[in-house]
Amino acid sequence: MSGFHSIPPDPAAIGRLLKAPFAILPDAPALFRQRAERFAHLAEGHPAAAYLRFLAGLCGAQAALAEALPPAEPIPAEQVERARAGAMPPLDRAALGASPALREVIARFTEAVLPLAMPPQAASALDWLRHADTATLDGMIGNVMADSLPMEALPQHLFLAAAIQVEAARRAATLDAARLVPVATGLCPVCGGPPAASLVTGRQGAEGARYAACAFCGTQWNEVRIKCLACGSTKGVGYKEQAGLDEVATVKAETCDECRSWVKILYQDKNPSLEPVADDVASLGLDLLMQGTDYRRAGFDPFLIGY
Amino acid sequence: MNVDLSRRGFLKAAGAGVAATSLGAMGFSEAEAAVAAHVRPFKLANTTETRNTCPYCSVACGIILYAKGDVRKGETAEIVHIEGDADHPTNLGTLCPKGAALKDFVHSPSRLTQPRVRRPGSDRFEPISWDAALDRIARLMKDDRDANFLARNEAGVPVNRWTTTGMLAASATTNETAWLTFKVAKTLGIVGFDNQARV
Repeated sequence: MSGFHSIPPDPAAIGRLLKAPFAILPDAPALFRQRAERFAHLAEGHPAAAYLRFLAGLCGAQAALAEALPPAEPIPAEQVERARAGAMPPLDRAALGASPALREVIARFTEAVLPLAMPPQAASALDWLRHADTATLDGMIGNVMADSLPMEALPQHLFLAAAIQVEAARRAATLDAARLVPVATGLCPVCGGPPAASLVTGRQGAEGARYAACAFCGTQWNEVRIKCLACGSTKGVGYKEQAGLDEVATVKAETCDECRSWVKILYQDKNPSLEPVADDVASLGLDLLMQGTDYRRAGFDPFLIGY
Repeated sequence: MNVDLSRRGFLKAAGAGVAATSLGAMGFSEAEAAVAAHVRPFKLANTTETRNTCPYCSVACGIILYAKGDVRKGETAEIVHIEGDADHPTNLGTLCPKGAALKDFVHSPSRLTQPRVRRPGSDRFEPISWDAALDRIARLMKDDRDANFLARNEAGVPVNRWTTTGMLAASATTNETAWLTFKVAKTLGIVGFDNQARV
């Protein structure tokens, strides 16, 4: 996979305990390129191969756009400091929704995904989105910014959310990770969004630490393990996995008996290829099994709404 | 909280029958059905991850115990893996070689799981109930303290010391346990004493 970096030898780091960094900001082109590659890999032999292959194309378009665009306008320093002082997310979603640069990204993205093979429902939704008037588009952007995608117009919003992810990740990348502060348990410290899933990392210096992954801006932030990402409770946290697997489960449902919700947890320390959004969609089987329980899904991923 | 899901819950509760999903809405219903058919024969299994403290030494490293099964859900749980707790400020996920071998310690057939006594003249340990063990310890301590407690030294200065009995307490304790252990030992006048409260 691309984005693999060999670790430079550093004798000074041997035997020293490092505190896991609080946040890891996305590198937009690499983020979407790795996601596209992971989707393509997961599609092989998967029962939902058609959908995964489509999303591989969609993420490939996100990556190509992120590579082609000029550097994003940085978030104003005073806004970052004000957010920091008030423990608020520095990426202002309302301001992002109103920016003309976002309109440009949406237009370029919806054009870039036109050649992708997709079912007629998706194609007509894309066509509808491309011809939506300004007021309609503003309303839809507002829905995506609120992480509230209406059921009656889901496919249009899915394309739109994918386009906005590109711009959100580009802007998140302009921040300084060291200046971020926790907003609240289970909320992204950059954009305030809920996580798609969380992952136990095997990254050097942070082995065994858990990072929640934001589907909106691609930021990953450190969260204490064995803690509900929906309500912050540490009581009654359990894990469910598909029974009868030959190998160790690398995707589990972290359930909370306090608020009766669950969020996926991916064990990247056991399989470094796991990608929060791609493997969230590919582990749809777990969502279907979890539908038979009385826990409700609290992870948010526009590509996997409705479970 | 997730707005999208509460809306779905509302639609379901209202009987509107709108089972909209990303896959269905995009025209990938067949893919969704294929996954459903694929997982239908499978069930969910409970596993747990539990925080604890390594019992070996007074550094008291944080550990995470992985188990198959969930006792809270009426199952038996079997520990399958133990690793350092990356969130713990003392060890940040690391463990020493002894701590890293904790799983074998838990499952060891020679692990001490009940009080045992080696009686005078005997060459082996025998099981004893907690009540009998504590009664016997109390009796022996009382007799020894009555015989050897020293209230004043040769100069007549009050010292209240009991030097013929010592106490060694375990390391994996909380502040409260350490405080209580210390108070019990020192109230009795025990001088030869070590526990977590020293660290």
